[in-house]
Amino acid sequence: METLSLLMQGFAVAGTPENLMIALVGCFLGTIVGLLPGLGPINGVAILLPIAFAMKLPPESALILLCAVYAGCEYGGRISAILINVPGDAGAVMTTLDGYPMAKKGLAGPALSMSALASFIGALVATIGIVAFAPLLAEWAIAFGPAEYFVLMVLALCCLGGLVGDSLPKALTACLIGLFLSTVGIDSNSGIYRYTFDLLHLQDGIPFIVIVIGLFAVSELMLMLQNAHAAGEPISVTGRLMFNTQEFMLAKWTMLRSALSGFFIGVLPGAGATIASAMCYAAERRMAGKDHQFGQGDIRGVAAPEAANNASANGSLVPMLTLGVPGSGTTAVMIGALTLYNITPGPTLFQDQPVIVWGLIASLFIANVMLLVMNIPLIRVFVKFLSIPNWLLVPGVAAISLVGVYAVHGTTFDLILGTLIGGLGYLLRVMNFPIAPFILGFVLGDMMEQNLRRALSISDGDPSILFASPIAIGLWVAAAAMLIGPRVMKAIDARRVPQEAVAH
Amino acid sequence: MSERIFGGVLLLMSLAGIWIGWDLRPPVSYEPVGPRAFPLLVLALLGVCAVMLMREKTSDTVWAPPPVLRRIGALFLIVLAYALLFDKLGFIVATALMTIPVARFFGGSWKQSVAGGLGLGVGMFIFFDRLLDVALPTGLWLNGILG
Repeated sequence: METLSLLMQGFAVAGTPENLMIALVGCFLGTIVGLLPGLGPINGVAILLPIAFAMKLPPESALILLCAVYAGCEYGGRISAILINVPGDAGAVMTTLDGYPMAKKGLAGPALSMSALASFIGALVATIGIVAFAPLLAEWAIAFGPAEYFVLMVLALCCLGGLVGDSLPKALTACLIGLFLSTVGIDSNSGIYRYTFDLLHLQDGIPFIVIVIGLFAVSELMLMLQNAHAAGEPISVTGRLMFNTQEFMLAKWTMLRSALSGFFIGVLPGAGATIASAMCYAAERRMAGKDHQFGQGDIRGVAAPEAANNASANGSLVPMLTLGVPGSGTTAVMIGALTLYNITPGPTLFQDQPVIVWGLIASLFIANVMLLVMNIPLIRVFVKFLSIPNWLLVPGVAAISLVGVYAVHGTTFDLILGTLIGGLGYLLRVMNFPIAPFILGFVLGDMMEQNLRRALSISDGDPSILFASPIAIGLWVAAAAMLIGPRVMKAIDARRVPQEAVAH
Repeated sequence: MSERIFGGVLLLMSLAGIWIGWDLRPPVSYEPVGPRAFPLLVLALLGVCAVMLMREKTSDTVWAPPPVLRRIGALFLIVLAYALLFDKLGFIVATALMTIPVARFFGGSWKQSVAGGLGLGVGMFIFFDRLLDVALPTGLWLNGILG
């Protein structure tokens, strides 16, 4: 009951005219960013965060904007997946498999409206999941001491490092570079300057926004030039827009199942929308038995991945809100947004900042209703944005990115540093280093160091405190399993697949 | 090959970082773990990762063909120049100057690129500076006119 009254308070926050307007703008922008190939939720959130900050939006409004953009991106990604066979963001890869064949058959309208509904159901189930589970988890985590916290952050990094990318050394390298860069600047405990090279602008550390824009906007521009291929003309949306009853009946359980599993996959740190949509697609395909057209335009093939990726995107907000430990690149950027506003993320967030937390959760409900309404009748408007030429889009993104960096401190130094980090980001991404662990390392670095030092102060320097409590030991074991487990599974799979190929 | 070179550079940099960080000791210490432990730990692990990268046998890096790579390099330099001149020339002029070559790289015609540059510069200035209240540099030479 207490939860419900808090949720009502949240609706009061999210329902003010300004915040409704902000959510609407965020949904619209998010859908557009999502549908543009190359730009995904992390780029959208990264580019808009400094602008929200510079506009002096209050923290709850800024977070509502970022969450609306995040939610919108997950809706937008499917549009380009269905109409041009290019996923607008990574989570929509699986949607191309059946979405594009459907569009080619003249069923673009039903594919788009069904995927919009699936996205909505996924997001709705996940948001209800947040309301149900997040306060419990936060309460449990409040008992964590600095030692448990430190290990929890190790676990978060291991999860992401173990799951993304193919090479463990590469994921770890990216994460460690991020951790190292977070130590630059003045050490708050001793007042010593670390790795500032006597540069005045580095004394407060490398600004978070500089890293985010460099890694996710500047390097993206260079990758867009590298991958510049003439994307096919979008298939025009003709015929009926809505799916019919028969199609709905076929897909309803698919959507619900995928939404539920997507949410739980999303809650696990590291396993993001991409993994969720791939797993649910594969599961539905297996469950469909012989009677299916998966791969040739089955409506369940667009419903499953879209429900799953939206559910998991919302689910990944759970560890961020309750533990202060983000499980994905995008939520890492949001944690950075909180710290920009001097809000310490962590389990006390639910108690200290109920306005922000519940306002955010309520705004997720509102944003998803807005998105569903926008995405069915207005679909033709969004399709128009697919024809923005790259020669206008790329300089536009470059300019907006630098505006964002400049808005924070107004120094040329930050702009140049951001560009250099963008160059480094490009090299890393070409060499297949995953970037999410980098940003996660940078965001968590300071908290990790502080908790480690606090824990060792308590034990007077004895490191055994890190293994003292059962929770800490459990977290260490989980971390090791996450680091090694996925690769062992992959190796087993790799052995099994050739045999299956023979059997077919 | 790329991974090996990168690993080598990374190894040298982490060793340099450890060497620089070795002297990070505060004059007075109140806590058992000072400011130097964490960065040194991270750098040591980074060094280990660098060695692992150098030992990886297969490389999955695919570099773009040289002409594309040259254009990517040029794009990087253009953005760097844009960053340098952002404040000095002012947003409108710097953005227009950046847009023209970048638009050309992405297949815009000269006419489109120039129009796009002016449009982006002026349009975004009005949008951000005037409508959203995000202050942008006008550049010294325009200060008198736009204030």
